[in-house]
Amino acid sequence: MAPPIRHTRVKKLNRSSGQQILREDQIEDYDSLALHTENKTDSGVEKSEEKEFHLQAALANSSNGQSEGEIPTRPAEETTDIDYDALYSLKSDKPATYIRFSQTVEECTGCQYDMSTEDDVFLTEYSKSHPESQHSEDVFERIMEIFEETQPEFAAVDQTLYSFDTMRQALKQNQMDDKLLVVAKDFYEFWKKRRQENGNHSLQPELKSETQPDNDDGDPYVCFRRREVRQTRKTRARDVQSTEKLKRLRKELEEGRSIVKLVLTREQAKRELMKTDKEIFDARGELKAIKFKTGIKTDDEELLINQKPQRRRTSEFQGISRQPASQLRMPPRADGRALDADLILLSDIQAQKENRLQIEIQEKSKQHEIWNSGFEDLTREPLSPVQQGSKTGFRPATAQYQLMTPPSSVTSESFDHPSPAQEKLEPFTFRYGSPAEEDEPRGQPAYRRRIGRCGRLWIDRRGMRPKESDDVVSDRFKFDQDDEEEPPVYEMDAFDTKALRFRATIPFPQHLIPQRVRPDSTPQVRGNGPSPPSNRSIAAAPQPAPT
Amino acid sequence: MAGGERDKEAAEGQARRAEILAIKETKSGRQFYCNFDNFNKRLDEWVPAARIHFNQDVEWPSPEKPKDAKKAAAPAAKKTAVAQKKAQKRPTSTREASVASEGTTPHPWTEFVDSQKGTPDADGGELVAALDLDNTPGAEDDDPMDVDEAVAEAIIAKTQPPEHFSREEEIEKLRTGGSMTQNQAEISRIRNISKVQFGKFDLYPWYFSPYPEVFTQEDLMYICEFCLCYYGDFKSFTRHRQKCTLQHPPGNEIYRDDYVSFFEIDGRRQRTWCRNLCLLSKMFLDHKTLYYDVDPFLFYVMTTRDEKGCHLIGYFSKEKESAEGYNVACILTLPQFQRKGYGRLLIQFSYELSKIEGKLGSPEKPLSDLGLLSYRQYWTENLVDILLKYNESEDRCSIEQLASLLAMTPLDVESTLQALKMQVYHKGEHKIVLPTHIIKRHEAMKEKLAKDKSKKKVINPEAIQWKPPVFTASTRTWGW
Repeated sequence: MAPPIRHTRVKKLNRSSGQQILREDQIEDYDSLALHTENKTDSGVEKSEEKEFHLQAALANSSNGQSEGEIPTRPAEETTDIDYDALYSLKSDKPATYIRFSQTVEECTGCQYDMSTEDDVFLTEYSKSHPESQHSEDVFERIMEIFEETQPEFAAVDQTLYSFDTMRQALKQNQMDDKLLVVAKDFYEFWKKRRQENGNHSLQPELKSETQPDNDDGDPYVCFRRREVRQTRKTRARDVQSTEKLKRLRKELEEGRSIVKLVLTREQAKRELMKTDKEIFDARGELKAIKFKTGIKTDDEELLINQKPQRRRTSEFQGISRQPASQLRMPPRADGRALDADLILLSDIQAQKENRLQIEIQEKSKQHEIWNSGFEDLTREPLSPVQQGSKTGFRPATAQYQLMTPPSSVTSESFDHPSPAQEKLEPFTFRYGSPAEEDEPRGQPAYRRRIGRCGRLWIDRRGMRPKESDDVVSDRFKFDQDDEEEPPVYEMDAFDTKALRFRATIPFPQHLIPQRVRPDSTPQVRGNGPSPPSNRSIAAAPQPAPT
Repeated sequence: MAGGERDKEAAEGQARRAEILAIKETKSGRQFYCNFDNFNKRLDEWVPAARIHFNQDVEWPSPEKPKDAKKAAAPAAKKTAVAQKKAQKRPTSTREASVASEGTTPHPWTEFVDSQKGTPDADGGELVAALDLDNTPGAEDDDPMDVDEAVAEAIIAKTQPPEHFSREEEIEKLRTGGSMTQNQAEISRIRNISKVQFGKFDLYPWYFSPYPEVFTQEDLMYICEFCLCYYGDFKSFTRHRQKCTLQHPPGNEIYRDDYVSFFEIDGRRQRTWCRNLCLLSKMFLDHKTLYYDVDPFLFYVMTTRDEKGCHLIGYFSKEKESAEGYNVACILTLPQFQRKGYGRLLIQFSYELSKIEGKLGSPEKPLSDLGLLSYRQYWTENLVDILLKYNESEDRCSIEQLASLLAMTPLDVESTLQALKMQVYHKGEHKIVLPTHIIKRHEAMKEKLAKDKSKKKVINPEAIQWKPPVFTASTRTWGW
């Protein structure tokens, strides 16, 4: 077979069209086939490096299928002369959940000055020569850190070296103990010496940062340059927006300033107050002494410290200071505690609300007791839950209080906001004295008999279907015809349970319905025999449902 | 190459052409920093004068040569220059020997430890800095010269600043990417840190890294394993260790299985840590650039856990928003964890993230030699796996289908198929043919993994708890 490939024009490879996938042995004359090598793609390696000997060898190996190609590199070695466990002494437990962490390196490494061997020598010498002042490495580092931080960033350029007075200020600002100021002076001299030796550069090695953007462009040691902020397009809307923003920021700044001012006056007033209080106290002490000396024996009314005006004043101050605080995003706190220390917790509010509801419920039930006193409760069995969600038309049992339903005791307001307590109750509706066997599966016709006040008999039905539309059911009676002319008469007790159950399934005659336009109330059966004549009015007007 | 001298260097009987990048004086004599032709920079070393054949012709950098110093800028000119050189060199017998010797794989680090140990680097940097830029060597290329003179010439030539190269363009490229084609300054071609103590290991850096310049004078630099802070002084390092409480990368864990965990770290929020990570990785990545800050990158860090905490194995960085559709900017497995299959895990993880994003991804170019090999291996394994399935069910498959199955770009799929010589044109149709040796190797690998379950390290995509981070226009405007 002559290879005709040379003459055929190779169609362009369409990346989205399916290609046949074959094994080498599934294609005949594989070796003679021309590999499709046009539009050669890039390997991604820089051209000058592509020809590197090791890379080429490795690539050749892997494409020939000999082995995974490898490039020799200098391996790492395990350190032998270091006590790893001492250096990395902290242990960690594997947390059960994925770690979430946002602290920075600076926050995790404590004091940013790490003393060097040179510092160590100095400190040990110093401790030897000054036996009265022994200072830990931590104190030394803290002081050095403050020195280094206070010194301006580009000190090496203009050769500024702050005097000890400046440093003392800084130490004070950083809440260093006054006792340390003496030793800090000695440390300062050492620091100054080291700093000068170091060309006034930072004592700890620092990355070279860009100082003159034009010059250090080519300096490979300068790294992590800042990227210029991308220019946004200038439009009128943006101008207006930024003006507004600036104005707002300005306003907020002014507000903050005025608040600080007010705080200052408040604190000054407090100080005045304290002073006056002390004067009063001293004067009283004097008075007491004089009284004691001269032997005046009146009642000691004027010696007691009168708290009243003081209290009024502090509350006044609170009122003043709280008002502006609500407008601020970051209310300043005089005592320096965390901002969220006095934030209200959701759980507290919820607990409070629940308590309130509980109290309300207790009050309501007491009220109900009062209303019901003097009435006889004929319901014999305790409340029991009812299956919910029936669409059978069985009227909700809540409408069936036989006791006098008290006027609505619930203000609509209190249930506007459902509380957890209320939500729990919701799935249950209560009814009185319902025998359990009546809870038949839904859809089955059912009834129940209850005796109300004055012996009124109530029959409730449910599961009534107005029409038997079910074909199967109607079909059932298709051939069930009575041949006899006279229907058979059965002897039965009219109030026998079975009979009642049967009668309960009989649909209402249509003509009766318009008179009782109450879709959700149950039709009632008039009791005949044992019921007293007073039972003539069958249904009372629908009573307001207690909620 | 901007300045520098083509020379021959004899190592254990094999002579190789090398370029001299720097010269320093040590107690034992003058040493030359050599880059061997056609070998990666990580094999560059300081060579004592005794190992250099000065009796051979020394090739001097021609005065106009700096003009095409950057290969990218003028590849054509460079090519001819090389050819000329070769023609010149060919008659000498040592050259022949060196070409022949390239067949064996050299492991030069045994030598360079020796040559580097106990050599104070102090004057290495100075020599380069304090030279006159105006002098350029003449054209007297083939004149036999005094060694000292030659050295001086070389240094002068070396310090020619590569001004002509359009740096603006290069820097403009850096603005978007994390890697660059070539470092712009000569000094950055010379390894500046000799040894690093990191965790339980001593690392031997491969490339230049812009740690503070004082560290170039240290024989050993200490790096804290958890916060990646660097120390030249052992006392400082121990003091730091007493205070450092970090035990894992400072971000959110987004993946965990029996072997590894992944942490996502925002370059802007964790600037110090990410800078430290970049400095560390620069020692092992030639093409990484630290020109600009770490803000626009996210770092996905892989760790292994023991009772001390989560130890860094490797990482990859990813642009918060890549205009070119890259899903990896820089990727590195630390040397002490190399050749253990971790690189594969890193690569797989980067593609799993792309799958969650619903994007096709590709690593940023240029790739390093090791990067290309790792990616090729990952691509091959996965492509062959899918292709074998298609082959069994006798279905057809397009390149785009393959790409979307693996969240790879169609270009990467095509280049892999091409490299494996799987694309053929047969009977008027493009077909993909699986060569027998590749199938065999694939099956052998599968068998090996089936036997030893512990070796089978893969990322379980279901254990990734990650949503693609969303960045608004304003974060972009304000520099992330």
